[in-house]
Amino acid sequence: MPVYRSVVCPFCGCLCDDLEVTVEDNRIVKVRNGCAISTSKFLHHHENRVEKPLIDGESATLEEAVKEAAEILKSARRPLIYGLSSTECGAIAKAIELAELIGGVIDNTASVCHGPTILALQTLGESKCTLGTVRNRADLIIYWGCNPLEAHLRHLTRYSAMARGLYTSGGRKDRYVVAVDVRETRMKRVADLFVKVKPGGDYELLSALRAVVRGYGLDVDEVSGVPRDVILELAERMKKSRFGAIFFGLGLTQSEGRHMNIEAAIGLVADLNHHTKFVLIPMRGHYNVAGANTVTTWQTGYPYAVDFSRGYPRYNPGEYTAVDLLSRGEADAALIIASDPVAHLPYKAARRLAEIPTIVLDPKRSMTSMIGRVVIPTAAAGIEAEGTAYRMDGIPIRLKKLMEPPEGVLPDAEILSLIIEEVMG
Amino acid sequence: MMELRLKPKVSGLSIPLEAEVISPDVVAGKTLREVEELRVYHGNRVETLSEYFEVEGEVAPNPEEQLIIVEGDVSWVKYIGAEMTAGKVIVKGDAGMHLGSRMTGGEIIVEGSVGDWAGAEMAGGLIRIRGDAGDLLGAAYRGSPEGMRGGCIFVEGSAGYETGTGMRRGLIVIGGDAAPFTGAHMNGGVIFILGRAAKRLGAQMKGNGSLIICLGEVEELLPTFVYDTTYTPTFMRIYLKTLSEKLGIKRAEEYIGRAFRRYRGDRAVGGDGEILVVERG
Repeated sequence: MPVYRSVVCPFCGCLCDDLEVTVEDNRIVKVRNGCAISTSKFLHHHENRVEKPLIDGESATLEEAVKEAAEILKSARRPLIYGLSSTECGAIAKAIELAELIGGVIDNTASVCHGPTILALQTLGESKCTLGTVRNRADLIIYWGCNPLEAHLRHLTRYSAMARGLYTSGGRKDRYVVAVDVRETRMKRVADLFVKVKPGGDYELLSALRAVVRGYGLDVDEVSGVPRDVILELAERMKKSRFGAIFFGLGLTQSEGRHMNIEAAIGLVADLNHHTKFVLIPMRGHYNVAGANTVTTWQTGYPYAVDFSRGYPRYNPGEYTAVDLLSRGEADAALIIASDPVAHLPYKAARRLAEIPTIVLDPKRSMTSMIGRVVIPTAAAGIEAEGTAYRMDGIPIRLKKLMEPPEGVLPDAEILSLIIEEVMG
Repeated sequence: MMELRLKPKVSGLSIPLEAEVISPDVVAGKTLREVEELRVYHGNRVETLSEYFEVEGEVAPNPEEQLIIVEGDVSWVKYIGAEMTAGKVIVKGDAGMHLGSRMTGGEIIVEGSVGDWAGAEMAGGLIRIRGDAGDLLGAAYRGSPEGMRGGCIFVEGSAGYETGTGMRRGLIVIGGDAAPFTGAHMNGGVIFILGRAAKRLGAQMKGNGSLIICLGEVEELLPTFVYDTTYTPTFMRIYLKTLSEKLGIKRAEEYIGRAFRRYRGDRAVGGDGEILVVERG
């Protein structure tokens, strides 16, 4: 009964790499060290699988499905390739190659999560470090618009609030923890200070903190529902910390203000670096969404929303992002890789996906695979296929292959290679 | 001016057409036949202008004397008048994204509304929009430090998010309402808002003489903008008279002699820009 040690969990951006997975008769039977989500992902891995390639809901061979997919992509004028955040980097590189070949638009799910973060980083730069540095050094940790207790379950114990490190041997006792959110989440119980901000008021609060850190007074009684005293005290605490870190999630990136919220947060961190060491790390959701941005950047120069229609890459979020392209009815064919946009995108965008010929590459059945013209099952990266993924702090980690995929099922990268060959003729 | 008329052969294309060739600089000096053969981009296909437009009229020898009239709704056409340096373009309907982006001279009149990024990073010339403008009017493209560097944009209707982001010089006049983050990162230039100004006005505004003038109601100013005085600036008379005479905004004259409340900021970035809000009553 093979037991795999130091297994990397392909679920969230934490990419915990200390799991122990037991495989019996090509089936996962036991998972140690994993969080509830991770354990469930591994143990239920064999359920809801797409078993055979499908064309219009009918079983087909892989060759037929690849041929049909290539025909759809070749004849499209504005094909969209989307998803990519739950697969490994080799597949992402292949998807970019295909996008260039067909003169399409390639976008990843960052455009509906931390895309605004990237816009802000491009404008202002970034003060960052690895999660290991936070674990070893941070004595002030701020969670802004994120709830790791329910989304990144082992973040607090492995990397942040509770973790014991080189200069933080007391773990939780050695740190001051702040949580900022629009409602009282479970993070309130963990935090020393919980700041409740009015929905859509993050930008004002960050701006006020920034002005105070810069030495200006604050001549208002409250900002976004937060009393002046709390702001002054928090600013002082930030300046006096030895090493501070802000983790932020979609509460900041997808609420009113979006990239401007992140610009305000980056600006605050930059100003704090005049007083102490401070960093900012986005809480990336899908396990390789950071990799999707990294690979797209090293291959095209841009992190997401890249248009190849003129033969060279162009970048403009809002114009070439999947939601916008689909809602405006521009895309006339789509290739969805390792993602379920029909379940997550706005109605208008999801409906467009159902109207146009859509090709879906996914190990599992999903709402998107239900509307797909062509559906091709794939081997799940990190379980049935090797590959590389990037952790939320930008560290690449090698994923392991634990078991064989069902017969005839190939990894994303290999299927994309077959489609590329077919398109090239 | 010599008039070239482009009549759309299709309407409401779902895949937009990229036609930066609809510009006096490109058509001037060519024959009608050559204009018809100009390249446009439809998705990943390269096609000719004549597949989408009937081309008639006259072509001028140089761009200064060229007038292009686009007859009809072309909200599906991007980059009309982009990078133009002289001449005039009239669009008798709506226009798509990037209209007049990076233009340095000449004039564009749109009788309908325009898409996002109109006049982005423009450095000279005049854009007049009779309808509404989309988001990022006169803004900086992503990754670029500076937006509008000169020229004038006048929108009679409302303007979308982040109008004039990163503005360095020039003038934007919004006849209707302005959406949030108007004048964000502004570092020079002037924005007039005649309608209602939404919140987060002038966010992260640096200074360098940047000025936002609100003649209508203001939803809310950021806590990092600080009131310093109420006064009646002399230069405002000149500005308002110019708006009335040069751009035909007669109602601007009503504000001559009115007092303005002055706010400075954005303190979040140590900025020294100004927002002037007309005193009510």
